[in-house]
Amino acid sequence: MSQYRVEMKNVHKSFGDNDVVKGVNLNVANNEVVVMIGASGAGKSTVLRMINGLETVTSGEILIDGEDIAHKGTDINKVREKIGMVFQHFNLFPNMSVMGNITLAPTELGIASKDEAVKQAKEMLEVVGLTDKADAMPAQLSGGQQQRVAIARALAMHPDIMLFDEPTSALDPEMVGDVLGVMRRLAKQGMTMVIVTHEMGFAKEVADRVVFFDNGTILEQGKPKDIFEHPKEERTKNFLNKVLNA
Amino acid sequence: MLGALLPGKTVAAAQKTYTIGTDVTFAPFEFANQDNKYVGIDLDLIKAIAKEEGFKVEIKPLGFNAAVQALEARQIDGVIAGMSITPERKQKFLMSDPYYKSGVVMAVAKKSSIKSLKDLRGKRVAIKTGTDSADYANSIKQKYGFSTVTFDDSNNMYQDVTTGNSAACFEDQPVMQYGINNGMALKIVGKPAREGAYGFATSKNNQALMNKFNIGLKKLRANGQYDKIIERYLGNGSAKSQKAAAGNSQTTDRSFIGLLKANWSTLMGGLRETMVLTIVAIFFATLVGILVGLLGVIPNKLCQGTATTFIYIFRGLPLMVLALFIYTGVPSLIGSKVPAFIAGIVTLTLNEGAYTAAFVKGGIQAVDPGQMEAARSLGLPFGKAMRKVILPQGIKIMIPSFINQFIITLKDTSILSIIGLLELTQTGKIIIARNMEGFKIWTMVALIYLIIITLLTWLSNWVQKKVKA
Ligand SMILES: Nc1ncnc2c1ncn2[C@@H]1O[C@H](COP(=O)(O)OP(=O)(O)O)[C@@H](O)[C@H]1O
Ligand SMILES: [Mg+2]
Repeated sequence: MSQYRVEMKNVHKSFGDNDVVKGVNLNVANNEVVVMIGASGAGKSTVLRMINGLETVTSGEILIDGEDIAHKGTDINKVREKIGMVFQHFNLFPNMSVMGNITLAPTELGIASKDEAVKQAKEMLEVVGLTDKADAMPAQLSGGQQQRVAIARALAMHPDIMLFDEPTSALDPEMVGDVLGVMRRLAKQGMTMVIVTHEMGFAKEVADRVVFFDNGTILEQGKPKDIFEHPKEERTKNFLNKVLNA
Repeated sequence: MLGALLPGKTVAAAQKTYTIGTDVTFAPFEFANQDNKYVGIDLDLIKAIAKEEGFKVEIKPLGFNAAVQALEARQIDGVIAGMSITPERKQKFLMSDPYYKSGVVMAVAKKSSIKSLKDLRGKRVAIKTGTDSADYANSIKQKYGFSTVTFDDSNNMYQDVTTGNSAACFEDQPVMQYGINNGMALKIVGKPAREGAYGFATSKNNQALMNKFNIGLKKLRANGQYDKIIERYLGNGSAKSQKAAAGNSQTTDRSFIGLLKANWSTLMGGLRETMVLTIVAIFFATLVGILVGLLGVIPNKLCQGTATTFIYIFRGLPLMVLALFIYTGVPSLIGSKVPAFIAGIVTLTLNEGAYTAAFVKGGIQAVDPGQMEAARSLGLPFGKAMRKVILPQGIKIMIPSFINQFIITLKDTSILSIIGLLELTQTGKIIIARNMEGFKIWTMVALIYLIIITLLTWLSNWVQKKVKA
């Protein structure tokens, strides 16, 4: 058993001629909460999406619990079962109810019977505070509610790792708190999390480590206190000035 | 003793069946009577000869051009369609002894002042594709300074002259006479040209059938049956007897309602064929379209390339070209016949299937890519994600296109009349060939299409509402 949940070794990614990720090394330990910050276009989403194989690496290696996800013998679907992902635009399935969204994967993948899946879905809805919305359709929910359902949907697979890509960026300000609250509780319970966010207050509070991305590389990383209060790099300072004074 | 155990060489068991192509609108040689049965001099003759010589015939009213093409492709064994014996045809086919003497005549509208070929200078003349009369017209058009316009069947050609679009038409003399006897507002001017004879044609390798025809024809001429057949359709020479002979196959009530009543069962037969073609074609085209459309969204270069190529080819080819290619082109490639119905279904399946594939692919691609990512991030394999998440959303997007495609398929069946399928359009052509009532019959055919399409649209809207709910 590897000592890290996620290991990225000299990972590169290019789209055509465009080199987007240029040699990233990043390890995430069990129970660790890593927050990725950086300007738009720095490559944060691409890095996050490579962790569960939504993007393939151009070169380098990604290990999940010590297993190379690009290896021929690796079943990427099995790897994904233990990595939950939450998207900026929720991506709930509009043709299914909240209950349908949450129970689809566990039942389709034979992880739970229909009854078990429904029972667990209700528990997950309790975690995100939406027990009364089980039968609602996604279109009937507010953005904040949709995002919490999306978190419940990911949690229903009992993942070891959760990835969040700007989960509150598409929300009205008054909805942000509810979603961050759920994430905060997950962090407290010891969930291993990799989060891309611009919510610096939240990052300061829950992150074990903050990673600053610049132009496809990790420019600087460390404890939240160190990064936010004593950034070493000029570019980190500039970035933080911009977001904090926005 | 042994002989009794061997299969006996009885006549009945050994009777060979030959497929014979004919024209559809070449009265009095071949035309459909009121019961939609094909009758005419050619048909009575070939049947009498078959009986005399102990073989069977299956008659395929394909239209003149399609019949000749089918014979070239060896889809059929012979053609009897008032076909003039010419040196060119003798090179391509075996031609029988002459069975009817004819000549090319010129006909003009009843009130026309045209009296001879000289009056045609600067005018337009209607001809029928592939006929000897057309060949004649083309050979003299330089000299007399007229242009030609081509039609696929006699009636359209006559109509072009009666409406005044063309100044004259050229047609074989007995056929022209029959049309005029039956009320075509035309008159014959000048003397017959290119006096020649009609013959029966087989492909070069079918000497056996040709011999049977020639021997049979001799026998019929000797025993008087031949004269009886001619008299049945053209009378004994007098105009009066011609009219009487023609009257056998005509309706007397020529009003819209009268014609509708008289031709109701024939039209309904055509409609039935159209519906069968439409339903079978929609079934297969939808199946093929969905499969190819799905192939087009599988993240694999070969799959996508195959789908794109399929769509490109079969959406690009005109339906009529595809139908003729499959019906008359493919048989020479694979060395066996393709029945017209099968050829029609394959044609529609490929063409409509390509359109369906294009909008199935487009419909799937119109689903937010985030949906696939979300499904895959949960660990669902591609196929499951496609079936459970993407397709249900894509199908909603596709439904209007499906309905549209069904209606187009229904209309496109009419193009299959080119390969002789007796669907609604072809039925209309055949009825008009008999009664020369182009305007009224085409109105009926058009109304039937509109009614069916309206019903289909209502049904689709109802289904669409159900799905949306
Ligand atoms: N599928 C793609 N095809 C081409 N270019 C892409 C694709 N995804 C991202 N990019 C490019 O990669 C760069 C990094 O994008 P991204 O990882 O989304 O940055 P961030 O999340 O830090 O804003 C951007 O320039 C973006 O345009
Ligand atoms: Mg991003």
